[in-house]
Amino acid sequence: MWGSFFRMGFRVLMRQKNYFLLNLAGLTIGIVAFVFIYLYVENALYYDRSWKNYPHIYRVNETYSTGGKEEKMALTPYLLADTLKNNFPEILQSTRLFFTDPSDKNDVSSVNYRGKMYDIPNLTIGDARVFKVFNYRFTEGNPDSCLLNPNSMVISTTMKQKIFGNKPALGKKLKTSIRAYTVSGVFDNKNRPSHLEFDAIISFSSLDKKEQKQLNTNWFWMNCYTYVELADTVNVREFIQRANYFAHMAIGKFVKKQKIKINGYMHLAFQPIQDIHFSQGLLYDSHSNINMTYLYIFVIVALFILLMASINYINFATARSLKRVREIGVRKVMGVFRKQLMLQYISESLIITFTAFILSLSLVELLMPVFNSLVNRQITLVDSLFTGSGLVFGMILIIFMLLLALFSGSFPAFVLSSLQPVEVLGGRGLIFRGRKKHSFTAAGLRKFLVVIQYLVAIGVIISTLVIFAQIHYVKNRPLGFDKKDVVVINSPADTSFRGRASAFVAALKSDTAIEQVATASSLPGYLTEKILVRTSDSSAGHLQTLDGFFVGYHYFNLLKIPLAKGEYFSSAKKNDSVEHFIINEAAVRFLRLEHPLGSYLHTPYTKKGIIIGVVKNFNFSSLHQQIEPLIFMLKPQFVQYVVVRINPYERKEALAHIRNVWKKYNKGYTMYYTFLDQKLDTLYRSDQKMLSLFFYFSLFVIFISALGLFGLSSFLIEQRSKEISIRKVLGGSEKQIVLMLVKEYVVLVLVAGLLILPVVYFFIGKWLQSFAYHINMSLCYFVGGIVLVLLVAFVTVLLKALFMVRKRPVEALKYE
Amino acid sequence: MIETKQLKKVFKSADIETVALAGIDLKVEEADFVSVMGPSGCGKTTLLNLLGMIDVASSGSYRFMGKEVYNLNEKQITRLRKENIGFVFQNFNLIEELSIWENIELPLIYQGIKKSERKRRVREVIDRLEITHRKDLLPVQLSGGQQQRVAVARAIVTRPRLLLADEPTGNLDSMHGEEVMNILDELNKEGMTIVMVTHSHHDASYSRRIVHLFDGQIINENLNRV
Repeated sequence: MWGSFFRMGFRVLMRQKNYFLLNLAGLTIGIVAFVFIYLYVENALYYDRSWKNYPHIYRVNETYSTGGKEEKMALTPYLLADTLKNNFPEILQSTRLFFTDPSDKNDVSSVNYRGKMYDIPNLTIGDARVFKVFNYRFTEGNPDSCLLNPNSMVISTTMKQKIFGNKPALGKKLKTSIRAYTVSGVFDNKNRPSHLEFDAIISFSSLDKKEQKQLNTNWFWMNCYTYVELADTVNVREFIQRANYFAHMAIGKFVKKQKIKINGYMHLAFQPIQDIHFSQGLLYDSHSNINMTYLYIFVIVALFILLMASINYINFATARSLKRVREIGVRKVMGVFRKQLMLQYISESLIITFTAFILSLSLVELLMPVFNSLVNRQITLVDSLFTGSGLVFGMILIIFMLLLALFSGSFPAFVLSSLQPVEVLGGRGLIFRGRKKHSFTAAGLRKFLVVIQYLVAIGVIISTLVIFAQIHYVKNRPLGFDKKDVVVINSPADTSFRGRASAFVAALKSDTAIEQVATASSLPGYLTEKILVRTSDSSAGHLQTLDGFFVGYHYFNLLKIPLAKGEYFSSAKKNDSVEHFIINEAAVRFLRLEHPLGSYLHTPYTKKGIIIGVVKNFNFSSLHQQIEPLIFMLKPQFVQYVVVRINPYERKEALAHIRNVWKKYNKGYTMYYTFLDQKLDTLYRSDQKMLSLFFYFSLFVIFISALGLFGLSSFLIEQRSKEISIRKVLGGSEKQIVLMLVKEYVVLVLVAGLLILPVVYFFIGKWLQSFAYHINMSLCYFVGGIVLVLLVAFVTVLLKALFMVRKRPVEALKYE
Repeated sequence: MIETKQLKKVFKSADIETVALAGIDLKVEEADFVSVMGPSGCGKTTLLNLLGMIDVASSGSYRFMGKEVYNLNEKQITRLRKENIGFVFQNFNLIEELSIWENIELPLIYQGIKKSERKRRVREVIDRLEITHRKDLLPVQLSGGQQQRVAVARAIVTRPRLLLADEPTGNLDSMHGEEVMNILDELNKEGMTIVMVTHSHHDASYSRRIVHLFDGQIINENLNRV
């Protein structure tokens, strides 16, 4: 019996090809969007949950304050891991990884193997216990001993594949410009979503002994991520208190020994490792962290997309089935049972839903690489959908499809098959007539559903417009210096470069395409140092924290940072007995200096210094943040970056010249460089990502809601085909009738727009507040969003209305 | 007023051709009252639709008030129709969402007539057809006879020169049918040209001329009660 139902179903669908395709497209797109969002959310929730003892692994974060300003960061001093482990037996294991910034690399991140250079995207330094806490599967080497020896390097399977192909890597030498490392292990990082994103680790013992000793004694040198694994019997809250008390005492001792006066505090926070992916607001935290709110928004959007697709599907199915009342009438006269009618409809529905299901999974698989590059993940459909919790999701999806088929099939069957045969055959081709009330509520419900869809569509589109405008704004807002046409070259890590730096700089200047060259170890958009200073007259002599820039001569001229008072650094006036400092206006206010010029500042580790200049405030970090107090110290010998202003009309020549000079002075070193404005743009990477996600949401939502409106308007307009004919016969022009038909839907969209306004205003307003500098939410974004949706809706309905109105009136009247 | 020559209408579906009208030559003079009779499927309604310009012939010529209709474009045809032709249908074809007044007013709106003038003219016809007291009701609230009065009112409110009626009494009992026929008779006496399709010999007896159709052809024309 089912066979005949499916045969009939296929015939019906083939006859109504347009309906079949539209319905299939809507449902498929809905499922595709839903599955993608599910995969993303599932992946995010799985972050750092693959470690064998993850519920008991914590990262130690730090909250500290000096001089009243509190800051939170993910970094802690190197010595913390050992100190805690040695004093608290409940810590089963502790380990640490050095902070590295993968977006700011020098030649050390490229290794030479048999004469070929390979770039390691994310290289870090770790102690020997890293793999005791993070139990990666090793394909080569021993995880327990691989980081014990100096100059050992453990690489990921991806790196191994890139460098060695299918040959074994263990024991092979990888050379950087400063030393050779021995590959001591290969770990598999596939299907291990984690905030740890390193591609290779160098053993801590590779650092020189002097540096190791410093690291092991200094509480104020924060450069490591510290992880601890606690015994599962530990009362965590109580442990944290004890650990903090211990750290407090230890720091007190350290401060006393160093003879530092400081008014502040440092507090350790133990963050469960699976929470890290969602943590926000910590300095030096992982770039891949996401905001939990976004995740909620994604889930809501996903559910809405699926709901919209389902509503449209049911709407469509019902509307279409009205065309078949005659067929039903005939079948009823022949004595069909309602159950058989239902089965007939359900089998048609099953054909569509399962075609859509298979089609959408194929599409997901096909689009996976695009999706992965968009969200910067390595998700595979097979791993996520057919294993573990994915299997459950797969089952749920299948059950959902079954239910959808069942419901969308039985609804029209139920309504239509409940009609008396004479009602359907009696010439009244249209249902619900003579049952005015029923028809009104059915239409009302459909209109309500359409308003809901447009609510979502308008909301998403307005959000997209505002996000776009804000990102455009932050990328183009004047920052108080000139970021254009500045090339930043990362110096070789080799200390021997210092000896030839000035010759390198002089050689760079020799071409007319180069306008200016300066050296520095700090730049806007890069990470800054934190400097402790006190003023001469601060009564208690307490230290306060400022952001610090170490720069060489010509720095201010090159970046065009304007002076408010005093002068720039100059070699002519250099007095070796005191340091020269320049501060920004924010620092003048922060340190409460009435006459900054000539004032002295003291730091714990350097000579006292005199303020010789005050520069105007400029944005040196992302526009999410206000301009912080900043101090410039003259350090011509620190040449982490060579900064070059090039002639914008001779870009090509300038870059060629820079490359040539690099080759001449730094033979064998890989040159890493970037344009300063591009580097600044990366500060908004996560915002940019959100924009692209919202852009795709918009496409999905517009498409699905347009489809929904098309379905609804088709249904309602077709129901009115007779009225349209009468109006035509009475002399109504096409224009008049089409306008009459379209007007109603325009009103629906406007209502949806008005309803969603306050919601969007609230949420997008909140997002904008995350920027210290942001656009004002003007009415034009709202109007723009509504007009856009209106246009799509207008065209959608217009198509159907025109089609109906163009029909000759006799066609609708002839059956009378 | 109307002159058709070899008017043909063929319906095509898949590979079957159905000839609805097989060459009609018909002349209707001003102020005439013509009944079209014949068995079901003989092409009566098709002929009326062609005369009313809501359908197009497959071939042949149709002159309306001296103009060859098939030489005009869509817009010109619409204008010719809405200024000169009124329709009355068997099942009334009132718009259910509009009140009686609004139904009658509709063709005037489509003719672009000013509001005050519309008001005057609608009042004139509803007074004449004695439906004034029901002007604010919806069509479903009226009996069949009353609905057909409204339909007639709507057809004549534009003061057409030609009234096309497709079985105007087909859905009415004899008393109400009689009323509608009396109205049509009156209108004809005032000079309105009427073409009416009917099955009823009684109704046909009101007309001046009867045209008999069979299988899409005129087989017989006879004058009635001259």
